[in-house]
Amino acid sequence: MKRIVVIGGGLAGLVAATKLAGGGSSVTLVSEGLGGLQLSQGTIDVYGYNPGRVRAPMAAVAGAPAVHPYARIGTSAVRDGVAFLQDALGTGWLVGDPEVNLQLPTALGVLRPTALVPPSMAAGQAQAGQRWAIVGFRQLKDFGAELVAGNLARAELSRGGRIEARPIVLDLPPRSGESDASGLVYARAFDDPAFRERVVAALRPLLDGETAVGFPAVLGLTDPEAWTALRDALGVPVFEIPLPPPGIPGMRLGRRLTAVAKQRGVRFLAGSRAIGHEADGLRLTGVVVGTAATPRRLRADDVVYAPGGFESGAITVDSRWGIRERLFGLPLAGLDDIDRLITDEYWDDPQSVFSVGVGVDAAMRPVRSDGSVVYENLFAIGGILAGACRWREKSGEGIALGSAMAACRAIEAG
Amino acid sequence: MTRMSADLVVIGGGVTGAGVARDAAMRGFRTILVERADIAQGTSGRFHGLLHSGARYVVADPRSAMECAEESAILRRIQAEAIEDTGGYFVQFAGDDPDYADRWVESARAIGLPFEEIDVAELLRREPRVNPSAQRAMHVADGSVDGWRLAWGAVDSAKAYGAKVLSYLEVCGIEVTDGQASAVRCRDRRTDAEVVIDTGFVINAAGPWAGRIAALAGCGEVEVVPGRGVMLAVGHRLVHSTVNRLAVPGDGDLIVPAHTVSIIGTTDVRADDPDQLWIPRVEVQQMLDAGERLVPGFRQARIVHAWAGARPLVKDARASGTDTRHLSRGMVILDHASRDGVRGLLTVIGGKLTTYRLMAKGLVDLMCEQLGDPRPCTTDTEPVPGSESGHTHQVSQRLRDRENDRLTEQLLCECELVTRRMFTDALHENPDASLDDLRRQLRLGMGSCQGGFCSTRAAAVACAEGERSAAEASDALRLFLSNRWLGLWPILQGDQLRQAVLDNWIISGTLDAEHLPVASSGSRR
Ligand SMILES: Cc1cc2nc3c(=O)[nH]c(=O)nc-3n(C[C@H](O)[C@H](O)[C@H](O)COP(=O)(O)OP(=O)(O)OC[C@H]3O[C@@H](n4cnc5c(N)ncnc54)[C@H](O)[C@@H]3O)c2cc1C
Ligand SMILES: Cc1cc2nc3c(=O)[nH]c(=O)nc-3n(C[C@H](O)[C@H](O)[C@H](O)COP(=O)(O)OP(=O)(O)OC[C@H]3O[C@@H](n4cnc5c(N)ncnc54)[C@H](O)[C@@H]3O)c2cc1C
Repeated sequence: MKRIVVIGGGLAGLVAATKLAGGGSSVTLVSEGLGGLQLSQGTIDVYGYNPGRVRAPMAAVAGAPAVHPYARIGTSAVRDGVAFLQDALGTGWLVGDPEVNLQLPTALGVLRPTALVPPSMAAGQAQAGQRWAIVGFRQLKDFGAELVAGNLARAELSRGGRIEARPIVLDLPPRSGESDASGLVYARAFDDPAFRERVVAALRPLLDGETAVGFPAVLGLTDPEAWTALRDALGVPVFEIPLPPPGIPGMRLGRRLTAVAKQRGVRFLAGSRAIGHEADGLRLTGVVVGTAATPRRLRADDVVYAPGGFESGAITVDSRWGIRERLFGLPLAGLDDIDRLITDEYWDDPQSVFSVGVGVDAAMRPVRSDGSVVYENLFAIGGILAGACRWREKSGEGIALGSAMAACRAIEAG
Repeated sequence: MTRMSADLVVIGGGVTGAGVARDAAMRGFRTILVERADIAQGTSGRFHGLLHSGARYVVADPRSAMECAEESAILRRIQAEAIEDTGGYFVQFAGDDPDYADRWVESARAIGLPFEEIDVAELLRREPRVNPSAQRAMHVADGSVDGWRLAWGAVDSAKAYGAKVLSYLEVCGIEVTDGQASAVRCRDRRTDAEVVIDTGFVINAAGPWAGRIAALAGCGEVEVVPGRGVMLAVGHRLVHSTVNRLAVPGDGDLIVPAHTVSIIGTTDVRADDPDQLWIPRVEVQQMLDAGERLVPGFRQARIVHAWAGARPLVKDARASGTDTRHLSRGMVILDHASRDGVRGLLTVIGGKLTTYRLMAKGLVDLMCEQLGDPRPCTTDTEPVPGSESGHTHQVSQRLRDRENDRLTEQLLCECELVTRRMFTDALHENPDASLDDLRRQLRLGMGSCQGGFCSTRAAAVACAEGERSAAEASDALRLFLSNRWLGLWPILQGDQLRQAVLDNWIISGTLDAEHLPVASSGSRR
């Protein structure tokens, strides 16, 4: 049985660990933090902008430029990755199709492209002629219903036509007397049927034959029926609109995926950071983990490195603008003079520095600029890969899933 | 076109102009102040934040030192709310010239500037992060001053005495009739409307832009050399008091604690245009090195923001071309009646924020003299609105306030503890304000997340309150974020770069703000 260490517990690491454990390997997942999935909006973005609005994400993946991670990952790994995730989560977790983008409202009222979403968001697919009520809560500051509705109402749909949208703001704290409640507190409240009843009672008289009602994405944390119960009680389609972190839909996915990974035998070393490695020539033999007591050595036949990018500290920039990969000191692609990497433009092109990362071969093994492999059995996936500004492109999940699949194939074949 | 009239038009809403407007209004002149942007958005909001005790100038310029000592004492009485009484240290470090310290002590004694020499061990007990190579330390009465609050305090006082204060009004012409300044022509930058103010007197307090204003009245060749200085803010208080090097004043020899941050500065390089002040990376590195010398480990601290201001100095034949520090630091008053044959027009350039009240007094005294209408100055006795209690501000004040209202108030900005009510009050009071204008009053978006979380909330609240349409709120958000970036990109590294990525995931990733429908052209200025 192969011993595999996966470093990083975000979407890429969780999926790779689950897949490899399901295939019969002995997998240990080492994770310092929770990973971006738990902070995210819980949609599966494949390719949203390149830089124009993408309608057919898989076609855009196929046409990705040579420096883009998708050029090495390839379409079949992306398709497999999405399918694997859908399957692993089970029915009722994700709907949609990587071939076609949906256009769903954000908490600023922008129609944002994404490929797969939790079913609780699906009714937010924008179509001309719809009449929406956008419901906010006075005590939830991350969702301004007036701004969302106002921007939706002035949006021109890509296929023409408009949506009507109007705000409704409920003065309904999740716990009595609470004036500043986070999305998480609301989500827990929505797990409680009594709170949902209060929402329905307050909202029903205010509705006026709308075709759908949009809520902040806080409709339940653990109860998957919370949003359907609300929908049924209101008698109108309901959809969730994601909020800034903490992202409840991302937390739901993260919890579910962690549970599935454990079921399939993945061992978790949570709250521990990988601090070193051992190698024998071109092969890694182990990973050193900084656990509470003493550094611990995990032997490994293969290492999957899914540590995220700058945001998680896997790639650091020091005070003299030296850019480094923290754990293995991997060569970085996309480096340039700092004045070209970071410029004064905020809204125009994305800053090039954010595309700096690890370059890989088709097996997701980090390579030097001459194409030579750094370690034969080290595979880098997800946010650490060079060549994409994922939040601009709306490509984070697609890259994570596709690169995880590509690495798993290589490991399982090897 | 709108037409107004006044006894005095003050051009420029920095501290100097605000001080002149207050002084003149208190003496009973019908006064109008015009500012092309927001109050204190020029040099008075791009400075270092030091309330000078005078200690910095004791050796080179004892007269300035005494002025600073007197004026900072007056400001503590009349504008306490704008000041944090931090105290300060002048420290001689290993390698600094010991003779300078001796000369400093001698001069300070000679002019009677209060100071106390303390043991290095005592210094390090009070300021444990200061470089332990310290050799000698002098405690002085330096403070930390908020330039926006200082200017707004003077403006509020001026208004209370009947002055009109008009911001976003750009002066584009000065009419001179029979050798006498007679009207000021302005353009409203928000509506493009023309405003003409008939007046008997004009005081040009446009700081580094003052040469251009003088030229509008046909008074040429007032060459103002912008000396650009770069400052960096570290996201927490490395020191409790100001810390200066006890050495000939130079680049990066001062750290000022201001609200939640500490500011290192500054450089001094000749610039061409006060509207185009670059923050070169070499100067950022220079400031990081300078910070490291004063407080070891400075490079590992989190730099949250950078800005640059222009020292508005009048060119003097004695100075070399590129180093503006050798120019006189005192202010220059140009009397255009004697200089150019234009009566009723004075230009003031230079000086220090700390001595703005004295400068204003000097100008209004001169105006009274020219008008043959002597009226006494009373600005030194009466506190401005908001400072009546005489209490200086403290960094812990907001925390105390939030402890009291935490059950009833919603926090819009967690970093700087700005509540929804603080924001809506400021918004209703300044219905035309941009999010940046409100930021300068509230510190919204000035903390470590630099607006990543609070900016969208603020835009949403402005919309919810009915003060902004969704389109206006969205434009305001876009402008706010790109303006924050001006002070971020030159310093982005370490934890602040990491923060910027998280902010990007929120603003761009989750919210897709870059695809907000753009109503206006989304200009950067
Ligand atoms: C780097 C640096 C650090 C400093 N540090 C300190 C310090 O720590 N302590 C201290 O006491 N002093 C300090 N100073 C000095 C102090 O900041 C200035 O002396 C003071 O702010 C000058 O104020 P002002 O009102 O004269 O000019 P400004 O604040 O520049 O005001 C001029 C105003 O005129 C406006 N204006 C320009 N053109 C027009 C027009 N056409 N129509 C209408 N309005 C117009 C501008 O928008 C601006 O607001 C520092 C200065 C610099 C540059
Ligand atoms: C004492 C002090 C303490 C500070 N503390 C903090 C802090 O804790 N956190 C923090 O984030 N920032 C802090 N700052 C910096 C502050 O946020 C601003 O970056 C800085 O004061 C610049 O002014 P601004 O906000 O008016 O302009 P900016 O936000 O820099 O720009 C606003 C507008 O001014 C224009 N502009 C930009 N540069 C210039 C220029 N040089 N001349 C004329 N117009 C220009 C822009 O185009 C834009 O329209 C502090 C500043 C001071 C003086």
